Parts: sequence; C-alpha cells; structure tokens
Amino acid sequence: MKKLLAIVLAAVMFVLPCMAMADELTMGSWRTDDVEQVSALLAKYEELTGVKIVFQPTVSTQYNATLRQQLDGGIGPDLFYSRTFSTGAELSENGFNVVCNDIPGVKDNFSDSALGGFIDKDGNIFAVPFAAVSHFVYYNKAIFAENNIEVPTTFEDFLAVCQQLKDAGIQPLSNGIAANWDILECVLCGMIPNYITTEERLAYESGERKLNDETFVRVLSDFAKLVPYLPEAFASIDNDNANVMFGLGQSAMLIDGSWSYGTLAGDDYDIDVGFFPIPAPAGMTQGFSLHPDFGIAGNAASAHPEEVKAFLQWLASVEGATEAAKVIPDGFLPLINADVAPEGSIIAAMNAVGEGKPSDMRFVWNMMALYTPMVDQLNAICRGEQTPEGAADAINALWEAELAK
Amino acid sequence: MTAKSKTMQAFQGGKTIKPGGVYWMRYIIPALLFYVVFMAYPMLDSVRLSLYEGTAGERAFVGFANYVRLFTDEVVSKRFWNAFGNNWIFFAYHMILQNALGITFAAILTNRTMKGRQFYQTLIFIPCTVAVLVTGYLFKMMMNPQWSKAPLEKIGLGFMVHSPSGWLGDPGTALSAVSLVSVWQWVGIPTMMFVAAFQGIDDDLIEAASIEGATPWQQFTRIRIPLIIPVIGMVAIMTFVSNFNAFDVVFAMETLDGAPNYSTDLIGTLFYRYGVAGQHPVGIPEPGVGSAISTSIFCMLLCGVIPVLVKTQGKE
Repeated sequence: MKKLLAIVLAAVMFVLPCMAMADELTMGSWRTDDVEQVSALLAKYEELTGVKIVFQPTVSTQYNATLRQQLDGGIGPDLFYSRTFSTGAELSENGFNVVCNDIPGVKDNFSDSALGGFIDKDGNIFAVPFAAVSHFVYYNKAIFAENNIEVPTTFEDFLAVCQQLKDAGIQPLSNGIAANWDILECVLCGMIPNYITTEERLAYESGERKLNDETFVRVLSDFAKLVPYLPEAFASIDNDNANVMFGLGQSAMLIDGSWSYGTLAGDDYDIDVGFFPIPAPAGMTQGFSLHPDFGIAGNAASAHPEEVKAFLQWLASVEGATEAAKVIPDGFLPLINADVAPEGSIIAAMNAVGEGKPSDMRFVWNMMALYTPMVDQLNAICRGEQTPEGAADAINALWEAELAK
Repeated sequence: MTAKSKTMQAFQGGKTIKPGGVYWMRYIIPALLFYVVFMAYPMLDSVRLSLYEGTAGERAFVGFANYVRLFTDEVVSKRFWNAFGNNWIFFAYHMILQNALGITFAAILTNRTMKGRQFYQTLIFIPCTVAVLVTGYLFKMMMNPQWSKAPLEKIGLGFMVHSPSGWLGDPGTALSAVSLVSVWQWVGIPTMMFVAAFQGIDDDLIEAASIEGATPWQQFTRIRIPLIIPVIGMVAIMTFVSNFNAFDVVFAMETLDGAPNYSTDLIGTLFYRYGVAGQHPVGIPEPGVGSAISTSIFCMLLCGVIPVLVKTQGKE
C-alpha cells in the first residue's frame, strides 16, 4: 500500500511540473462564433513555434466587464482581443497592456489611420491592429431578380427601390431600433462617409463645424427618409430579429455590419446574399465606412511575457497576417498594409468595394459622449417624435456643452 | 458502577454546558464568518468605494462627489430618478398583483373541498423553476408583432397584439409588460408560502367559527388572514427587496439600457451600466458612481423595510 502511494506521489511530482512547464497561454475574446477558425490559427502557430495558445472566448456583451474583472483580479488571459479607441485605451492607461510601440513590424506594417484606433493618451500602441469592419446594405438576390431590380447606385435610387418593393408588398428593410445600437452604428455611421470626409469629421470634433449645420441636418433628413421602409414593428425588432427576418427572406434588404455576412450567407439560411455600400446621394462622392474594430493585445502581467511578445510580433508580420487573414471571420477586413486577403474570398470582395473610395471610421467614435444621445435621437426620429432639425440641434447643444467642459 | 457514574458526572458535570456564558458563540461562528466575509464586508466596502473615483489601480478619494453627481448631474440624476420611479411601478405590480394572486391561489388550494391540489400547485410553481433568461426571451418573441401577429390573428386573438410597435417596443406599455411577465413567473413563491401559512391554522378555529355561524368570507377575512399577517409581512419584505434587486428580466426582455427610451430601466440595470459594465460601446465602468447608486438604494430600502418589519413581526 505504501509502495503504491509512493509511486502515485512520485508520478504526481513528476507530472505536475511538466504540465506547468508546457507553454500554454490563453487568449480572451468576445468572438464566440470563431472558436474553430481561431483555434486553427493558433494550431498553425503552435506548429511553427511550439507555443500552445488556448482560445477562451466569453459572451460578446459580457466581454468588457469580464475582461476588466479578470485583469483587475490578476487572472487575465495572456493575450486578449482589444477593443479600439477609448475602450481599449482605458485598459492600457491602467497599465494592463503590453506596449507594442517597439514590437518589430507594428509601426512599419500598419498605416497611421489603422494605428489610430489603437493609441492611448500616452502615445502607447496598445494592441496589434487585427481587423476592421464596414457596413453594407445586404440584399436578397432572388427578390431583386424577381422584381427586376438593379443594385442602386445613388441614395435616390435606393429610396426608389425601397418604394418599389413596398408597393409590391415586400418588406424593403428589416432594420429595427430595439437593440439600441445598430441603428446608429450600422445605419447612420454607415451613411455618414458619403456626406462627411475625415477632415470634416475632425472639424466637427473640434467644434469648428456645428452638428446642426446643413450637412449634418442633411444626413439626419436622409436617415429619416428610410423610416417608412422599416418594418411596421420596428420598435420591437432588435439586431438579431432583423438578421433572422432577412435571412428567412421576409425582407429584401438589411443594413448591417460586414461581420454579419458570415451568418447571413452561412448554413443557417437558405438565401443568396449580395451587398453594396449604402449609396451616396446623386452628385456626392461615394464613401466607404471602414472602422478599426479589434486588435490583439498582450497582458502586461502575463507569466509568459516573451511568448506574448513573440506572438504579437508574428501577427504584425506579413507572414503572420497572411495566416490570420485565412481564418479571419467573413466580413472582417485585415488592417495590415499588404494584400493578405485570400484570393476570391469574401474579404477580398469587400475590400474591392471600398477600393479607391474615401474611407472613414464611425463618425461618433471620437465623440463618445454623443453615442447614447444620438441613439436616443435616432429612435425618436423613427418613432416620429423628433424632426431631423430638432435632433441636430439637440446633438449640437450636447457637444457644445461637452467641449465647454 | 464507577465507570457508569463517571460518565454520568461528565454528562451532568456542567463543564461543557454553562447557561449564561458565551458558550453559544462557537456555534454561530461559522455562519457569522460566512456572513461577514461574503455579505457584510462587501457591502461596507461598496460604501467605501462610493467615496472613490476611478477603477482598480488608480482610485482617488473624492469624498461625496459621486453622490453629488448622482443627485445633481442632469443626465445621471435623470436616469437615477427614472429608474427609481420605474422600480416602484415594477414593485407595485408584484406587491399588489402577485401577492393578491398568491393569497387567492393559496386560499383555493387549501380549501378542504379542493380536488387535484398537487396538480395545480405544481402548475403554479413550474415557472419559478425556469431560468428568467429563458422565459424572458420566450415572452419577448411572443410579444413581438413581427413573429406573433400572424399566428395570433389566425386563431382570433389579434387583439392581443399591440400593433404596430409591440408591447415591448412602446415606452408606454413596456414596463407593464415586463412586470407582468415577472409576476407570472414568480407568483408560485408567495403562493407556496401562503399555502404553508394557511395549512398551519388550527382546524378547530375554523370549525368553531362555522358552528358560530361565520360565513366562509368572514372566516377568510376575520380568521385566516389575521392569522397569517406575519407571513404577509415577510412576503411583502421579500417582494420589496427582490424587486429592488431586479435585473435579469429586463436584461432578457429589453436591453441593458432599459429600452425603449429608458422606460424599463430599473435600479439594477442602471447600477450594472454605471458600476459594472460601463455604457456601451465605451464599456468603462465607474465603480464609484455604481457604489453610490447601490448605497443610496440600500439606505432607501432600509427605511422601507424596518417599519414593515416592526409593524408585522410583533404580532405573532
């Protein structure tokens, strides 16, 4: 009996350190849909370097809070998906992130605009840029073909298409307002690059231009023109419902983020999906919304600092980014300055839509104090409780107050 | 013989049992420790936290600034009082409807001529055993005209659809809809407590009353109800406290913002937005403001609970 115990003890003493020695890192994420793809990327990395990284995603809506608590408690993952702009920067300003400024490749392989979403107040690059998102009008090819509808190229054409569909008894758009985010992030921020250039956005941010000027009122007025084509029950329809409606063929079009492509075109639904950018009004330049969405950050408190840095360096290299682009979920656009999108892929097709068009990030992202008020105003416009002019005045007043602080 | 008396001595010796001493202390130590570590300390610490600003790592003492902000800042105070008011409406639905239904169900279930009691009791209790997220999501689907209008109209129940916005999309009806779902789900709990209370009433009393000529209604209002007042008080307090902690049903049926237009925003969701998760999409929490919200609510709850306790628990 004692002998057996000794053997077991010896085995435990031998095995435990071996397990601890194994370089098993963890990666936190909000992309629960991507376990398979990212695990494939990480397996590839293990094949190349022998370092094992385990992908541990949390539910998207809980990610920020969970990550925050893990990092606060010193049990954060070694690597984690980083949000862009102030959300991501705040963690870095609290010292949770590995500073990436000196990681080879980061400064050379990414444009300033790509890095722009990943720099904190102190000038530290807090993550390796990974992917951007765009916003499109998805359309049901079969419905368009049955009704002899061509893909519209101007906003006026787009409204005409909506009217034609409505007259034919087909629900034109399936967007709703119940989720309190997509109406702003996908619809309005998807439209804005057609009206406002990057320079003009900066002028709005600094207060040089007023948010109730002619241009901005025009944006909101054009937005209001979409309201009659939303589903009757738009007030109860959230983003999931909108996707399901479109996926089931109950609506002809859906304005949504590029990230939804994978689901809409996937096995869940039996529709042929096409997409086009939200068209600019006649006579205006067609823009392209390209919003840095996430990067991969290293945990400054990781027990494996060298491995973490090595992985980030690999991701910032063209080789690593090429491997990453192969598993990047459909609808996410790589940010690296190299043509890494696999040929014939949907990512390449989306890139092609944006090619040569002036692109900009989501309008409101550097004016975060306006995010919730803008959602509230858009909801009010949809409900018919607010005019575009009134909404613009309210938004402008808030921003002036914010700038005066 | 000697062995036996020694045992007796040890048993009766009074060494281990000394009435009047603090011998009982050791029995409550485990519970006390558990309570202090997991309840009292976090609660007091959140009071402390409400005097600080910033997140972990760089907290700065700011005195009562968080409270000043909570009650004077235009946006924050508007949200707070809105959520506070919504909570009272949410509470009123539970207090009036849920508890009245609970008493009614219990009175029917404990009626001596009632048949199939177990069956109905189970039926009423089943919703309590289902996760709120599940029932909330199901009701959300059922109340969405996009999905429910056609099937309901088909079976002649079209009037149940609140067209066009849906019960949950109309700021005027959303809170009532959410409250009623919650009432439906939890009505089993007070029912069970009232059933137990009614069963505890001595049959002799009822029998004596009926011999004296009391009508069933008189028996109910003059004998059965007065005898279960302590239980009613307990249920009232539980309703009060659990409703001010409510969060999940709104989370499941509306958004964390208490959509539409903050009409279903409760203290729980407000606290979560400010203190735990931060406002979407920035997601940077302000634990100080969150703690100020929870501390304020704690004080208000205390003011509500103590008088009810004093009023109802002394009558046993």
